[in-house]
Amino acid sequence: MRRRSLVPIVVVALGLAACNGGEEVDLGDAADDEALDDVEDAPDDDPEDDPDADPDEAAEGGTLRAAIGGDPDQLNPHTTTSSFAFTVLENVYDTLVEPGDDLTMEPALAESWEVSDDLLTWTFELRDGVSFHDGSELTADDVVASYEFIAAEGDNAFRLDPVESFEAVDDATVEISLERPAPNLLEQLGAFKGMAIAPAEAIDAGTLDDEPVGTGPFSFVSFTPGDSVEIERYDDYWGGTAAIDGVHFQVIPDPGVKLTNLETGEVDWIDSVPPEQVETLQDLDDVEVGQVAGNDYHYLALNHEVEPFDQVEVRQAIAYALDIATITEAAQFEAATPNETAIPETSFWYFDHERFGTDPDQAQQLLDEAGVEEGEITIDLMVTNEFPETVTAAEVISSQLGEVGIGVDIRTEDFSTWLADQGDGDFDGFVLSWIGNIDPDDFYYAQHHSEGINNFQGFADDEVDQLLDDAREETDEDTRKDLYDQAAERIVDQASYIYFYNSDIIEAWAPNVSGYETRPDQATRFRGVSLED
Amino acid sequence: MSDQEQQPTDAPEPRGAGLEQPEIEHRPRWRETLSVLMSNRLAAVGLVVLVVMVVTAILGHRLAPYALDAQDLTRRFDPPSADHWFGTDDLGQDVFSRVVIGARSSLLVAGVSVGISMVVGTLLGLLAGYRGGWMDSTLMRTMDVLFAFPVVLLAIALVAVFGPSLRNTMLAIAVVFTPIFARVVRGSVLSVREQLYVRAVRSLGAGDLRIVLRHVLPNVAAPVLVQTSLSLAFAILTEAALSYVGVGVQPPTPAWGSMLSDAQRYMAQGWWLSVFPGLAIFVTVMSFNLLGDGLRDALDPQQRSIIEARGAGAKDGDA
Repeated sequence: MRRRSLVPIVVVALGLAACNGGEEVDLGDAADDEALDDVEDAPDDDPEDDPDADPDEAAEGGTLRAAIGGDPDQLNPHTTTSSFAFTVLENVYDTLVEPGDDLTMEPALAESWEVSDDLLTWTFELRDGVSFHDGSELTADDVVASYEFIAAEGDNAFRLDPVESFEAVDDATVEISLERPAPNLLEQLGAFKGMAIAPAEAIDAGTLDDEPVGTGPFSFVSFTPGDSVEIERYDDYWGGTAAIDGVHFQVIPDPGVKLTNLETGEVDWIDSVPPEQVETLQDLDDVEVGQVAGNDYHYLALNHEVEPFDQVEVRQAIAYALDIATITEAAQFEAATPNETAIPETSFWYFDHERFGTDPDQAQQLLDEAGVEEGEITIDLMVTNEFPETVTAAEVISSQLGEVGIGVDIRTEDFSTWLADQGDGDFDGFVLSWIGNIDPDDFYYAQHHSEGINNFQGFADDEVDQLLDDAREETDEDTRKDLYDQAAERIVDQASYIYFYNSDIIEAWAPNVSGYETRPDQATRFRGVSLED
Repeated sequence: MSDQEQQPTDAPEPRGAGLEQPEIEHRPRWRETLSVLMSNRLAAVGLVVLVVMVVTAILGHRLAPYALDAQDLTRRFDPPSADHWFGTDDLGQDVFSRVVIGARSSLLVAGVSVGISMVVGTLLGLLAGYRGGWMDSTLMRTMDVLFAFPVVLLAIALVAVFGPSLRNTMLAIAVVFTPIFARVVRGSVLSVREQLYVRAVRSLGAGDLRIVLRHVLPNVAAPVLVQTSLSLAFAILTEAALSYVGVGVQPPTPAWGSMLSDAQRYMAQGWWLSVFPGLAIFVTVMSFNLLGDGLRDALDPQQRSIIEARGAGAKDGDA
């Protein structure tokens, strides 16, 4: 039943930055094809860059033309929630640590770190010679200012929840004191660019919304809302200068149009490919497809505060009646892996657990036990055409539940209405997905703890609460995994969510793009990319 | 259609026989209209196609070779074949069955919504045109406000507010179409109101209600009828547009518009997914338009004599 369809990814030896900070030798210096040269026209507002860039002006690397599926609402990493913003910001900002190829945390702005014996004090040594795009040096004050801002406001404050205080010991040392042990602190600080380090001055001045200033391989040039974002190579990047001159992000919302643009050579890279197109694309010579098993998970949530879904037997009956392999194939073609739990097989935290399978007879029996008559239940199932796979899944669910006498009224809404109804609890059930993260706490706490901020289904279970609370503070990795396994087992058994599958991440690019790799955490890193003819 | 039924009731008219002359003409007129209409070949084709569509819509599930929820992922994107005349879709469902069952949604929505807007619009138009004064201003300015919005936009807004469902789709389209009828009727009433025969009945002491029902309404019936058939065409399109943007008829119930919108995703996998629902919309809308054009010609006395003359000439020519 479990199926894996990992298509060979175009793995290229990632030019992961020669650390000597010297001029990166560029491959394919003639690759200036139709590069959008606006980059060069950008006013050079930081004279301090110039000494290093001197006369020979780092040979032409060309501009990568990337298509993104939507408009970033704004480009402040601390306050934006747009995934499109992060596609851009991934290349502009750095975090203290960052996920490596196996998603474990590796040094980034912090060169090394130590943890005290009581696990409550973390000391980070900052990398030497890191400069912001405005030319100023990175100091511990910038790190403290960034974290204090994040902790005070923004959607990412919860990541710093266990922190008592941040302190700049000296210019290159940051000390973080915790109220309680946080074994996942590194993941919280580095798993995504919402925890980016920005200059203290810009944070105080509140100018980051309009003028992003980071330490990343590319610096911000311009943002035309609804149209494009322009970034250019930062020559003093601590990790070695990028090979390309810059990236021009073009907003193209329609997936079909985006793909056509790639095929006709209007763009070099696109941020997603509809799963139904993957098979066709693999036969084409002029498109490379990057597909990896992702961390995102798709699920059905039933409203535990509405009869008869408050009865665990009814929820379990629905889980038994559903055939998640069929739902997966219908909604995602070959580009997903069915999974009865949230965390994907590729993760250390994966819990191999098949609780329900497909068993309509068992479903019928449970419905009888719960005293539900045939035809008595009709689920008001909320989906959104913002994510068409939810509508497809709903059609299959409707057909499958029909077999055990459960009716389904599908309600398709635009996403803002959908979100409002979700918040108001105005649904019997809904289908959606979460963008998966690296640490298991991100998979479970907000969704299934009775106090969780995203527990819209109203699940409340003392056992799960206890397990999730304990696991948060457990520092022994194996014990911690065991706690999460128990929590997952209980969550699945009680059908807090009925999990369907982990979807693959699919990106595509032109054959002349080399050095790019599709990553399971969806980080779109262009620093190792070069363009060839 | 209801107008046609109304007119025969005019016949048993006990009083003021001398004044009823216009109505004596009425009875034969609708038959005459029909025969003129049928002599217009395009309109006749339109009418026949629509009858077929309506029968399809009524029989729906019984005509469809496959059940609505017959999904089969092993048969996704099968091209048209003897088993599946119009091929299969992304869930392996039979497209022919879905087009047939979808006729019901499309025609039901069009019929009910235009029916409502016709009745309400006609009443408002009669009231505004006959009463005049502040009543006229208030009603028609309100209609103008509704009229100012693009049809589809207003319908989408209404459905978004009240929630997507078959009923709300019908109501939304009805609201959007009401001003059209109100305007058409009011315009006709304004001219009929001042006709000599109306003034004559009034001077004989006839009440407003009687004047409106017996003398004004029958005389505005023709434009309403034409407007109805044209509106039905637009209503089909509006329903398709609403379903296309996902706020119309809800899955799994098929509707032509939503089938078309789903098909857009799978353009590369199967042309048949978009062609057949699109064809169904095209043929139906075209038929309503042909019928509407035919009706307009048939109900217009001047046009009618031309058509009759031409028809006669054509017959002579054929002979």
